[in-house]
Amino acid sequence: MSAPDAYNIAQVPLTAHAFSPDRSALALSTNSNDAQIYAKDGYDWQPISTLKQHDKLVTSIDWAPTTDRIVTCSQDRNAYVWTKESNPESPSQTIWKPTLVVLKINRAATQVRWSPLENKFAVASGARSICICSFDEEMNWWASKQIKKPIRSTVLSIDWHPNNVLLAAGSADMKARVFSTFLKEVDKKPPPNVWGDKFPWSTVCGEYSSSSGGWVHTVGFSPSGDAMAFASHDSTITIVYPAAPAVITLKTTMLPYVTLIWTAEDALIAAGHDCQPMLYSGASTGWKPVGSLDDVNGPRSSNFSSASSPRTPGGGGGGNGPAVGRLNNAAFNRFKDADSRGTSSIPGTPSSPGGGLFGGASGVSGGELMTVHQNTITSVRPYEWSPNGTVTKVSTTGVDGKLVIWNVSAAVGLAPKLAGVHLR
Amino acid sequence: MASSDFRKINIDQYDEDQLLEEELYEADPRDPATVLADAKSKAAGVRGLIAKGDLGTALNSVLENAPYGPKVDDAKILTLQTLLLILNSTKPAEIPTRVKALSSDCQDTLMKYLYKAMAMPGYADVNSSALLSWHEKLTEVAGIGCIVRVMTDRKTV
Repeated sequence: MSAPDAYNIAQVPLTAHAFSPDRSALALSTNSNDAQIYAKDGYDWQPISTLKQHDKLVTSIDWAPTTDRIVTCSQDRNAYVWTKESNPESPSQTIWKPTLVVLKINRAATQVRWSPLENKFAVASGARSICICSFDEEMNWWASKQIKKPIRSTVLSIDWHPNNVLLAAGSADMKARVFSTFLKEVDKKPPPNVWGDKFPWSTVCGEYSSSSGGWVHTVGFSPSGDAMAFASHDSTITIVYPAAPAVITLKTTMLPYVTLIWTAEDALIAAGHDCQPMLYSGASTGWKPVGSLDDVNGPRSSNFSSASSPRTPGGGGGGNGPAVGRLNNAAFNRFKDADSRGTSSIPGTPSSPGGGLFGGASGVSGGELMTVHQNTITSVRPYEWSPNGTVTKVSTTGVDGKLVIWNVSAAVGLAPKLAGVHLR
Repeated sequence: MASSDFRKINIDQYDEDQLLEEELYEADPRDPATVLADAKSKAAGVRGLIAKGDLGTALNSVLENAPYGPKVDDAKILTLQTLLLILNSTKPAEIPTRVKALSSDCQDTLMKYLYKAMAMPGYADVNSSALLSWHEKLTEVAGIGCIVRVMTDRKTV
């Protein structure tokens, strides 16, 4: 099993992330009003430019793989599309130029995603609506059209179907829905598929409730678009096959997931409050957990490859050595670390979400979690594909300010070990 | 000291399109009278099963189709009393077997009743030590996911 690559990017939560098409740069929201672009410098990521335009927290970023444009959205109810241009003052440099998006919403924008053809994007919002945006040549801005019905609360997540027309949306009214976003100026009529035959604007092609009434945090279409999965705050994952028809709900023993992606037609990765990405696999006949991408039982120092993470539980006597002297104990070292290195002031130091005792797989040792991420994972995204189209590497960012790149295959060997954790 | 009265203002009442509680989950298809009748017949059946010592079947019958939602408070209380009768008559050593035999839906319902009972200290049959040992065993089997579902589910028992 190969170790994940972990980078300590910031001492603040990372709200969203998106890689450039060639994976040499990274756009991040560091829980602030500006989006930052980072470039790889040796092993570490260094900030190279700032996308400054929003005046509230940037909630989501997406980087179009073909057209190389970035779109950001924010709690200030705006979104901007950023294009690369050469700097007029020094032509060798590139700068990012924002283009206005006319959203016309009266609540925060929560998530933004480019459509597969990159000629549209969707913005989810707290205004009980989803804005579908397309470029208006005449006005030189991005115009939007809203889907409002039958959404009853904040839309928390969206995901595009590969046909560029269907959009899945998860909302705080405990439902996941599939909408048509057909714009006759932009789209060609899509052929019929498992979600329906005709797709006029804002048709509801599917509506599914979360089983025990949790907010739907994340939605995702399978690579073919024939299945949809969503995870909600009741610690469940639901996978929907409209063709079968089958709705499979997995009640997990762990804390809720807030983000998920499909890695293949029969596998998905979900991550969230348990601080570790979990791999699930299955088909329309049934789904089961395969394992964690994080080796929570392994020796932490050997499989943790970060260059800049102080992980020794304490100074002096070393991690596991017997405590010598009255002051050389865990609590003392904790305060000493807080004083000399400021470690406990990191927002990512959790008070123990997911205690190891209660079925969750994350062990706690000396206040630190046995997982690579030390706090909730906020987003998981595909990083690398194999030639046949399955995702081989995924990237995650978390509230602990870390960026981690995981091998999807790392989870497979863990199945028996994890099954024990689940079923005891 | 600053007044905190503004926190008690229901700002949603001015919203013409407010999200109502009943839109968040599907209502019980049975009407309240049927629910109460069901709860009564289950209670009688459970007493018979306890007398025979068949606590597993008794537990399952109470937890399946347990009453939820508004206007069925009497049925909810009766179901809680019936359930407490079973919980208190189970030997501590048998609890893990009983818990494992339940379906995951029934485990979630059991957890809801455990929290409901713990919120009513001093109520007739509430025996905190029995509740805590059931809670411990149930959490070992169903995980914290089960507790999360009790907190999120609007279908309160």
